[in-house]
This record gives sequence, structure tokens and C-alpha cells, in this order.
Amino acid sequence: MKTINLKINGRKRQIEIEENERLLDIIREGFHLTGTKEGCGEGECGACSVLLNGKLVNACMIMAFQAEDSEVITIEGLGENEKLDPIQQAFIDTGAVQCGFCTPGMVLSAKALLMKNPTPTKQEIRRGISGNLCRCTGYEKIVEAVELAAKRIAETD
Amino acid sequence: MKKTGKGIGIMFYGTGYGNGYPDISRAKAKIDTDGRFTISSGACEVGQGAKTSLAQIPAEILGILTKEVIFDHEDTKTTLDAGTCAASRQTYNTGNAMKMASESLKRILESKAREILNLSEEEPLVFDNHEVIVEGDPSKRISFKQIANTADVGDLEVVEIFQAVTTKMNEETGEGNPYWPYTFGACGVEVVVDTETGTLDISKAILVQDVGRAVNPKLIEGQMDGGFAMAQGYALLEDLNIVKGEIKHHNFTKYLIPTALDAVEVKKIIVEDPESSAPFGAKGIGEPVMIPVAPAILNAIYDAVGVRITEIPVTPEKLLKAIKEVG
Ligand code: FES
Ligand code: FES
Repeated sequence: MKTINLKINGRKRQIEIEENERLLDIIREGFHLTGTKEGCGEGECGACSVLLNGKLVNACMIMAFQAEDSEVITIEGLGENEKLDPIQQAFIDTGAVQCGFCTPGMVLSAKALLMKNPTPTKQEIRRGISGNLCRCTGYEKIVEAVELAAKRIAETD
Repeated sequence: MKKTGKGIGIMFYGTGYGNGYPDISRAKAKIDTDGRFTISSGACEVGQGAKTSLAQIPAEILGILTKEVIFDHEDTKTTLDAGTCAASRQTYNTGNAMKMASESLKRILESKAREILNLSEEEPLVFDNHEVIVEGDPSKRISFKQIANTADVGDLEVVEIFQAVTTKMNEETGEGNPYWPYTFGACGVEVVVDTETGTLDISKAILVQDVGRAVNPKLIEGQMDGGFAMAQGYALLEDLNIVKGEIKHHNFTKYLIPTALDAVEVKKIIVEDPESSAPFGAKGIGEPVMIPVAPAILNAIYDAVGVRITEIPVTPEKLLKAIKEVG
């Protein structure tokens, strides 16, 4: 047992963790932020993607104690109040969500990509989300959604 | 050396459980005292879009917006059984049950409206924005809410059951009517095979799907893309590798599925040929979209390098070995 401090979705929080707990466990079980999914538990599917200090990580591959004093953004931390993040809105508008299991991870992956590269090509988008598996969509509408989000963000800036 | 080849695959698919197995969907439609319309049915939303596309059916019948339809689905406590989300059957089967329930409710609303407004049987009525209106004389109108307030409890509530036509096939003669309806599709691909490494790229892809009637074209395109990618994985990558009953490829490091980098842009053609027994002609396409793809890929490989592959997935090792064998 150990107590750590971290900032999650903009809020300072404190939590007791077990030594063998992963970041994914405290996100889902500790903070009840169940938008982050566990697909494989071994860093292969990207369903657990979150932003850790602004960098995209698989929360199943990070130990909870490594998140001490860090800043974590999960899917629940995107957007403001009732307004969705432009990426979330673009996913809805293009029909990029089917079962939705990959979606939180995909959106965060796209977020990380657009923070680094606000005007990606189709191929760069494909590469950017290639660590996130999707069984339903064939990725086409997801790529379209990221393109649309990038366009809308550029227009509002 | 790189060799290019083209191939096609065609398919037909029988919707539903088939072969005489009872295939039943139920739906309940009602108007509550606030005049709001609710339809409930046990169909599950699993990402295929049932929640969206099925709700369009009662909206069309009752002249209200899809977003105004309160669709209570999958909760077994509050809904009636509509069978499984399997066999590509929900659009057709549950769609039919929901259409029947909505039409029955519409007839009840019509007869109540005639009674309250003192209208003869001949006067034509239209439904618009939660109101029943006399066509050509819009001063005569009554809202769903007003009708609900004069009706007795349970009057504006109706359950309908749809059962698909299916008979057991005669195993000796192959005769019978095991499925109804059928769905048709075709796929064409162009592949580029690297004869030194056995790897292949799909350079062009086209998928054509008969849908009866496209209730929601965007959802159909999404399913077509998804079906293609799944079939691409099935044909080229995915192998459980079962040895003595044990799955050896039990994680994504070994069981590979296409990523965004593997996925190809598929040209999609939706063919609309309304099916007379279907709700507004619409048929399900969940599974059909996947079926013709692997055969098209195998045919394209044959066209490119002259080898007939009979076992999938066509891994680079397998393809290289086959190419070497034919010399
Ligand atoms: S659950 Fe973390 S990568 Fe799959
Ligand atoms: S939408 Fe189902 S896994 Fe991506």
C-alpha cells in the first residue's frame, strides 16, 4: 500500500495503490473512469490509451506508482462541460463508432497525433492510429473523422 | 518481382436462423399520456446500428422524427424477446415486427381520431408532428396527446409478432425453402504479389452489396468497410493455430488482425432492390459484406502468380512455398 498524488482530468487527486496495480486499474477501479477500456492487457490493442504528461501511453503497460505526480487525461477529460472535443464530435458526425470499444483509445490517439501534427495526411493519420485495433469499422471512417477534426480545429483557430 | 492480378468473388446469403428453426421477433408500440411514442423490442445494439436504423422505421410510419422515437431496446426487463443479434436478422425480422406494431398503432390512432372528430371512414388522414390531420382540411386535427387523454389505459398499446418464413430443407433432394430473404453481393480486388517475399498488397478493392433498401447508407458503408477489413484479416492474417485443442495464437502478438495501415480504401456500391417481404424493402447485411472478399483475394492471387491457394490465411510463407512449387 502506498499513497500517490496525481492530476487526473485537471483535478488533483490522491489515491491509495497496491504495488502491483497498473495505471489502468486505478483509472477504472480507483477513479471509476470506465471510458478507458481493457482489451488485451498487454500493450497490443490500444483500447486503454490515455495521455500521461501529454504523451500517449497504454495504461495497461504503466504501473500505478509510475504515475506519481503526473498528469493523466482520459476520455472523460476531453471537451468542456457539455461541449465535446472536436475529435469526439467528428467521430459522431462521420459514423466512426460502431461497437465503441476502441473509440476512447482511438480518440485519444488522434488527440495525441493532432497535438503533434495538426495537419496530418491520410497516411500520417493511419500511422498515428495504427497502435489502436478496431474490429468493426475497417478504420476508413475513423481516418475520415480525424481528417474532419483537423480541418475543423484549423478553421476555429 | 512484383506481379499484379485481379479477382472477383460473388455470394448469396440466407438471412436468419433458417432451415425450419423458428425465427421470431416481437415489438410493442405505444403512446403515453404525454403523447410520446415508445417502441420497445429486445433487439440489441452491438455496434451494427440497430438503435439508429430500426428507430427510423416507426418514425417513417407515424410521421415523426427519428430522434423523437423513444426506442427501448435490449433490456430484458422491459422489452419483449426479439431473438439474437445474429444471422444478420435484426433489420429484417425485428424491423418487420416494429413496422407491424407501428402500423397497428397507427390504425388505432386513426380510428380514435375519426371517433373524436366525427369523421367518416372515407376521409383521408395524414400523420405529421404527433398529430392526425384531415388531408385537405387541416382545421380538423387532433394530437396524439389529446387522443391519449380520451383513451383508456392500454388502448394505445399494441404488440406484434413477426415470424420469418423458413422450412426445413430436404437433405436427400436439397429441396425446400430454408431461408428468406436472400442477400447478394460481389467483390473485386487487385493484388500485387512480391514473388520474392510472398507478401501481397491489395492495390484496389470494390465491394458491391445488395441491401434491399438502404435504411441508413452511412451505417451500411461502415459495415461494408468493416466487413472488408475483417475478411482481409481472415484471408491473409488471422489464424488461431489450434494444436490438439489448444489455441496457440491467443493474443494479438500472434493472432494478427488488420491495423489502420493494412486497411485499404474500398470503393463501395450499395444496390437497392427492395425486398417485398421486408420493412420498406430493407435487408440485413452484417455478415454478407464479409463473404465474397476472401474468394476474390484468392482468385486475384491465382491471376497474379498462377497458384491456387486452398487454405487460409495466405501467409507470406505459404504463398512463397506455393509459388516455388509451381516454379
Ligand atoms: S489493454 Fe492496453 S493495449 Fe490492450
Ligand atoms: S468500433 Fe468496435 S472495435 Fe472499433
